[in-house]
Amino acid sequence: MEHAHVIKEFIVTEFIPDIQADQLDDDYDLIASGVIDSINLLRVITWLGGRFDIPLDEVEITEKNFASVTAICEFVDHATRRQESPIG
Amino acid sequence: MSKSFSLPDRLLEYGRIQPDIIAVIIGDQRISYGELADLTLSARSQLDLPGRCGSGRIAVRADKTAQTIALIAACMMAGRPFLLPSTALGASALAALLARAGCSALLAAEAADGGAGIQVHSVDLAPDAEPRTAQLVVTPTANPEPPPADGSGEALLLTTSGSTGLPKIVPLTAGAIDRFTGWAAAHFSIASGTRVLNYAPLSFDLCLLDIWATLKVGGTVVMVDQARATDGRYLADLVRSERVRVVQSVPMFYRLLADTHPDQPFSDVEQLIVTGDKMPAQLLGQLPALFPNARIYNIYGSTETNDSFVHELAGSAGDQAMPIGHPIAGVDALVVDGDGAVLDGPAMGELLTRTPFQTAGYLDPSANAGKFVDTGDDGRPYFRTGDLVRRDAHGVYSLLGRNDFEVKVRGTRVNLAEVEHVLLGHSAVLEAAVVGVPDEAAGTRIHAVVRRAAPGSPDSLTLRERCRLQLPRAAIPTTFSLVDAPLPITSTGKVDRQSLIRTVLDRK
Repeated sequence: MEHAHVIKEFIVTEFIPDIQADQLDDDYDLIASGVIDSINLLRVITWLGGRFDIPLDEVEITEKNFASVTAICEFVDHATRRQESPIG
Repeated sequence: MSKSFSLPDRLLEYGRIQPDIIAVIIGDQRISYGELADLTLSARSQLDLPGRCGSGRIAVRADKTAQTIALIAACMMAGRPFLLPSTALGASALAALLARAGCSALLAAEAADGGAGIQVHSVDLAPDAEPRTAQLVVTPTANPEPPPADGSGEALLLTTSGSTGLPKIVPLTAGAIDRFTGWAAAHFSIASGTRVLNYAPLSFDLCLLDIWATLKVGGTVVMVDQARATDGRYLADLVRSERVRVVQSVPMFYRLLADTHPDQPFSDVEQLIVTGDKMPAQLLGQLPALFPNARIYNIYGSTETNDSFVHELAGSAGDQAMPIGHPIAGVDALVVDGDGAVLDGPAMGELLTRTPFQTAGYLDPSANAGKFVDTGDDGRPYFRTGDLVRRDAHGVYSLLGRNDFEVKVRGTRVNLAEVEHVLLGHSAVLEAAVVGVPDEAAGTRIHAVVRRAAPGSPDSLTLRERCRLQLPRAAIPTTFSLVDAPLPITSTGKVDRQSLIRTVLDRK
């Protein structure tokens, strides 16, 4: 969860400007509540790719990776770990 | 039913049997039934003066005075159909409306003989308009013969308050008005001497309840001065000092009272009727404390059918908007889907109603197509209200909003009124407007503007959570604006959604 704060900063700034980053719970359902709809989802993915240097065409992306800040953190951890320590 | 109109006969009778009971209170004037009966007879005789009315329908200028009440009663007595145009119309719009209605004269009633008498005079139709509208040519269309004795003849013409286009003209028969006023007086315990507030302008259908049902049973009408209708202190003082027992009004009136005197109950009010608009849950929650001795009702209706539903609030309002309840006795209601198929049981769809009080159709028959639906069951035709309702498993109806508030979001149909309904159900939400905003990527995206009771709470996450629990995903607004000032309104007092959409687009 080391990236939680910067992810929250991005989400509140882009999509829910009346909210402060620390007001957003790690487990608030961003998809079901419409904060991240299908169009916003593309922006989140693009931003994550640039910010965390994730090769977007090499990782599998599903909607549930973005259901909460916790899920996004896990996605980022998984994608970056894979990159840093290739198996073998 | 030997008489075409029981109302003027009753007025004259009250003039004999209860001449000192006050019929109308307006400003510092108190007009007794004895005086009102005299004014009515005087107005009636003036209608017959040569050249006074012409041979067409009559229009009556809807000034809020006892003299206008007398003139209207005189028209009823004479069996002359009359139109009550809104006093808010400009000169040329008024002239055009009168021409469409086939009115040969616009009459006004003014005080004479130091206030004790009445002078009925014909008003120059369009003094400020272009010469061609001032030269009003009227084709008499009214039936010159006496009205049918069974009450089936046209008596009163009202206009719809549509937000677009020309208002439609709605003729009501004497019988329909008689049935309605009889129901209303009995349902809301209005009797001789009962003080009933009249808030609406005289041209509004609401007056059939608060003025005409009241006068029919010998009650006392306490009229609100139109010029001060948004002055909360004046309204509060009037309700208190005149010891009003029955109040019928739109939500805005209760908002004004609640804001003016939040901690001083109006304990004389026994019957409180909310009508004309959706009642915000937050305001509804304040009513029981503000009116501790009142039974609280929500009434639903339209000009075409008059009232069709009534709901009595029992206990606390909860966090839902108030339902419209059940159909009034004698009223039939249908819920139909987008294809017009009748739905059974719990359902959501457009509401169709038929009532014992309804019009036989618009004055312009071509306007009836699509609005009145004959189901072929020998009964009256049903009126398509254009309102979206939900009927629950107990047969209780709730109004969700206009049926035409539908947009498509990413291929899914969303009813914006339903979203507003969910947001308004939050106890700290004063107003909510939900609009579809054109969007390059999404086609349409949903934007919600929410006015809160106090800054800071609820925030957009709380409102999204509420939407998530009650709405399909596509109906959850993409963006929220949380504001603490009243939403912009149009000249007819409705939320100005177009201006909200423009604000969003300009922001980009």
